[in-house]
Parts: sequence; structure tokens; C-alpha cells
Amino acid sequence: MRLSILLFALYQLVWISSKTNRAFKKFISKAKVRFLIKTEDGKYARLFVFDQGRVSTATGPDHAFDAALVWKDPKIAFSVMLKKNQVAVFNAAAEGKLKIEGMSVFALWFDKATSHIL
Amino acid sequence: MSKIYGGHLAAKYLKEVEHVDMVFTLSGGHIENILDGLTEYKIKTIDVRHEQVAAMMAHAWSVYTNKPGVCLVTAGPGFTNALTGIVNAHLENVPLVVLCGRHPLRDDLKGALQEMNQIDMVKPVTKWCATCYETKRIPEYLSIAFRQATMGRPGPVFLELPPDILFEEVDEKTVVIPKRRTHKTVTQPGKNELEEAARLINQAKKPIFLGGSGVGMSGCGDILEKFIEKTGVPISLVNYGRGVLSDNHPLSVNGGGFTGLNAGLPVVDVIIAAGVRFNWLLQCGQLFPDAKVIRIDIDPHEIDRNRHADVGLAGDVGQVLGQLLPLVEKRDHSPWLKSFKNAYSAFMTSELEKRKTPSDPIHPIRLVEQIMTVFGDDAFYVADGGDTSYYGLSGFASKHQGGVQTPAGGLLGCLGTGIPFALAAKLAHPDKPVIVLQGDGSFGFNGMEFDTAIRHNIPIICIINNDCAWGMIKHSQEVSLGANRLTCSELGMRHYEKVVEGLGGYGELVTIDAEIIPAIKRAVASGKPACINVMTDPTVTSPATVFFYQSFSEL
Ligand SMILES: Cc1ncc(C[n+]2csc(CCOP(=O)(O)OP(=O)(O)O)c2C)c(N)n1
Repeated sequence: MRLSILLFALYQLVWISSKTNRAFKKFISKAKVRFLIKTEDGKYARLFVFDQGRVSTATGPDHAFDAALVWKDPKIAFSVMLKKNQVAVFNAAAEGKLKIEGMSVFALWFDKATSHIL
Repeated sequence: MSKIYGGHLAAKYLKEVEHVDMVFTLSGGHIENILDGLTEYKIKTIDVRHEQVAAMMAHAWSVYTNKPGVCLVTAGPGFTNALTGIVNAHLENVPLVVLCGRHPLRDDLKGALQEMNQIDMVKPVTKWCATCYETKRIPEYLSIAFRQATMGRPGPVFLELPPDILFEEVDEKTVVIPKRRTHKTVTQPGKNELEEAARLINQAKKPIFLGGSGVGMSGCGDILEKFIEKTGVPISLVNYGRGVLSDNHPLSVNGGGFTGLNAGLPVVDVIIAAGVRFNWLLQCGQLFPDAKVIRIDIDPHEIDRNRHADVGLAGDVGQVLGQLLPLVEKRDHSPWLKSFKNAYSAFMTSELEKRKTPSDPIHPIRLVEQIMTVFGDDAFYVADGGDTSYYGLSGFASKHQGGVQTPAGGLLGCLGTGIPFALAAKLAHPDKPVIVLQGDGSFGFNGMEFDTAIRHNIPIICIINNDCAWGMIKHSQEVSLGANRLTCSELGMRHYEKVVEGLGGYGELVTIDAEIIPAIKRAVASGKPACINVMTDPTVTSPATVFFYQSFSEL
């Protein structure tokens, strides 16, 4: 539940920033990226769609994506994502609690994009 | 009185003093006398079909043999054609020795054939350049050229030899042949800097050794192995350093390639960066903001470039490691190494799955895996192209120095370098398989060199990753311009294998996954230079394209 709220709040922030935050707007202005964050069992999932400046979202795990952060369980996802730090993400991956499907370079892009707003 | 032509004198010096046994060239009237001298002094000539290849092969020869590569080109268009290869060597700090024809001194400013100011054109892209005006002084000029190319930070040199002096005969007794200098460098770091570096290494919890071309050029495999095994530091070797320690060494994290470095570098606490530049490929050193950086470089000016170094050790990598070795303590970083490998494997989940899964249409990642299945790590691999370079770089592994090269991924980003590199690799290591994974677009630049391969019996195996496009550009345009506005980035289906067959080599077309390995085996069995044209999925792109596109889209 907490993870759903976090993902929803993150999307809200992305959406508002896409209208108001100049640096963020510039950063996403040319990108076409579909980024999914989900748990392995698919119970929690949110897609972030960036299309040359426009952003949109969808819930559910079965969307096409460029990269997906796949978390072993929602608690870990919540605590690591809240920390917003690369070491925590790295450790989660090293401990088998997180994997990236698709191309991880898009996850790095998403991280860089959100660093403009978080 | 025994007389000698200038051209023969040049060849004599190359053979007897510098022990050059191979020269890469394309003929021309202005340089005929040196060519004849090469015959006289039994220096093997590899004559190619475009001068850029002569320069690129000589460049690659330095990479594969750790000796300066020599190319000989004619005046005017021979020179301008070679220029791309010279620039490439300049940006990669490679000891390339270019000998070049020139219009006769006699005809200066008269409108002679192929008259042009070559020196002014080549000056900004060489470490040293000169024109020799006197036959007797040819050995002296050559000696300077070799010293300039190899000493300190290496680089390309250019010596212009006008026909007036090449075709002239002189009394051999009047010629002074300089002695060859063999010392490498005397630049050394201070004792306190070495101690500080050792202190950081001994205290590190999550260190990495990142070695580049300086490691390869130093020829420091033994000392590097001792250093790494004593300190237990995980190691990644890139550029011409790749393979100095096998990609399969237990401490190597090269299996993660580009993704591994992107995943791991932001969390390391100490980086020992040896003979590697923090240029755009390493995001100008911004990828590891919190790490302590120890830089080892033969050029002291490089040490703080783009990123402040906590300790700078100026000197040859092997020599510096030799000095550090007694100061560092024995350590075991295996838990950190395990975390590193686990993390990048988690970041590469899809790529690792694709390697193992038969695909239809063939995925380039799978193609690379199938090639590896045939040849393993006892081979030399080259990849050339846009996306193709990425696939080769991340999927190939070799236990040999220079065993995996993606020359188009250098600073010049020059497509077409793959076949020249592969030819040079095979000449340097005739008993090992040499495979070049080639983008179909890039094949067009130097595909004609299969003629060279056939004339000189250099049986490389070229495997074309054929997506019928300039893939990296096409996929970028799909995002930036839209799929309906692609421009100049599409190519058709072409039977490149038949081009190679037509030139006298072995050719085969592959369209299904199950045929990749049998086709490669047939190519090997043919014993000929071979081209396997593999049709791959035109829709897939690589992280390199995304990375490349992003770096522009932020502008
Ligand atoms: C000599 C040269 N010309 C043009 C370019 C620009 N360029 C970069 S990647 C690329 C496409 C390469 O296509 P291909 O060789 O088919 O490889 P792919 O990307 O499809 O794997 C081009 C044209 C370049 N880097 N070098």
C-alpha cells in the first residue's frame, strides 16, 4: 500500500514538474522513455511514460517498457526508493532484491531525470 | 666506394636499427625507391586498397605487438587518404610512424603533381612531423621519428621524404647511423605520493582498478597481476589495456562491460585509474563523485584533467605499480567483488537472458554469444559499428592482450577501423582465430580490404551484424525525428558475403539462429578469409545508442 502511494506521489511530482520545473522540462524534452517500477509478483506496478516533454502513467505490470525496476518485495522497494541513493540501489541489486529488465541505461536516465525534482 | 639510394637507406635503417619487419603501404611513384628498399632489406610489405587502412593497420600493429607500427604512403591523395588513420592514432596516443612521399623539392611552387603543403595539414594531429632534405640524414630523421613516437606519452609521427633524396645515391661511408634508444621513461612519482596512494589502497573498502591503454602500452602484465592479486582489488581493463589480465581472471569485472562500470563506479570508494583518460566515455570522471581517485599516467598533465585526483602518480604504469607493490598490504575484497558482480548481473538481467535464448529474428547479443561458443577466450575479437561495437564490447571475452577491441569506440569514433584491426591482429597472431563483428554500414568503408586479406593470405573471419541500416543513427532518429522521417540512415539487404566470395574468400548468408555456429565452423574449415552475413533484428538497439542520444538530447 505504502509503495502504491509512493509511486503515485512520484508520478504527481513528475507531472507537475513537467509543467513547472525548467531544468526537468529541458531534460525530458527530447526523450521517449517507458519506465516501469513494479514488484516481482506484479501486485504493485506503475508505468511512467515520457514522450518528448509530455508525461503520462498507467498502473499494472503488463506494459511494454524500455526498462523496468523489478523489486522482490514492496517493503524493500519503499525503503530503498525513499532513500534516493545509489548505494542503496546498488546494495539491493547485489543482494538479489532488485533487478533491472530491459536496458539499465534507461534506469540511469530516470534517476538523472528525477534528480531534478527530488 | 659503396653507394646506397636514399630509399634503400631508409629501409636499411628500419630493418637494422629499429628491427621493423612489417610495413603497411599502398604504392606510388614518389615512394618507389623506399618500396624497393623494403624488398632489398627483406621487410614484409602489406599493400592495401586504401591508405587509411595502411595507417589503421600500422596503428593496430602497435596495439597487438607493442612495437611502433610503420606505414608508408605516397604524396598528395595517399597522404590525404591516410589522414583519418593518423588522426585516430593521435587521439589514441598510438606510436604510429608515417613515412610519406612528397612532390620533388626541385619542383616546389611550380604546380608539381600532388604538390601540397602536407606538413601544415598534419601538424595538429601528430606528436612530431618533419621533412627530410638530405639523403645522408635520412637515418637521423628516422631515429628522431621513432624516439618521438615511443618515448613519454606515445603518439603518431610523420616524416616526409621527397623523391629527390630518395632516388639520390650517397656513399654509405658518409652516413652516420644513429644508435637505437630503448629506455622507456624516467618520470617517477615522489615517495610521499606513493605512500599516500598505498595508504588509500590499504584502507579502501570498495576499490576498483580501472586500467586503459597505458596499461597495454606499458606491457606490464606480470607486475599488474602481482599487484591485483596482492591487493585483491577488482579490475576492469578497457581500450588497449583490455586483456593484459585475462577477461576471465577471477578479479576481473569486465563481464559487466559498460553496464557494469555504470552500475559500480558510483559506489566505489577508491579508484586506481591507470593509463586511462577521464573523457566522455567515462563521463569526464563525473560518474564517481565521492570516490578517492589515484591516477597513474605517463603524462603528468593528464592527472587532474576533468577530475581532481587525490593522488597523482606520474610515470609508466608498470614502473609505478612496481614501486607501489611493496607498500600495499595483502587484502581480500571478495565480498565486495561478489556484490559488484551480483549488482551488474541484476542490471543486465535481460541481456544475460538474451544471450542464452535462441532468437528469431536473430538478436545481435545472441549472435555474439554464439560466436563466443565457437571460439571461447583463446581468440582475438574486434567489433566495428555503432550498436555493433556495444554488443561486441560487452559480449566478447579474451585472455589475450588487446583480445577485445572496438576501435570505432575510440575518441575519433571512426567506423571502418574493424577490418584493418582484424587484419593486423591476424598478422600479429597468425595461430589464433581473429573474428571481426562488423556493422553492415561500416563494412562499406573497408570491405574491399578482403582483397588484401586474400592476396596476403590473412584468414580473418568477418561476421556481419546486418540490420540493413546505419543502426545507431537510425534508432536515434526514430526517437528524435520520428520513424516516418528517417534520413540517410537506412540501407538495403545486401549480399556482402558474395562480395567476399567474388574477391576469392569464403562467404555465407545466415538467417536463422541454429545456422550461426555451423556456418562459422564451415568458414573456419575453409581456411580462407571469410564473411558470414548474418541477418539480425533491425528493431533492436543498444544502450550505447541510448547513451549517445541522451548526451546530445541534453544540449
Ligand atoms: C567514418 C564515420 N562516419 C560516420 C559516422 C557516424 N556514425 C556513427 S554510428 C553510425 C552507424 C553505424 O552503422 P553500422 O556500421 O551498420 O552499425 P550498427 O550501428 O548498425 O551496429 C554512423 C554512420 C562515424 N562514426 N564514423
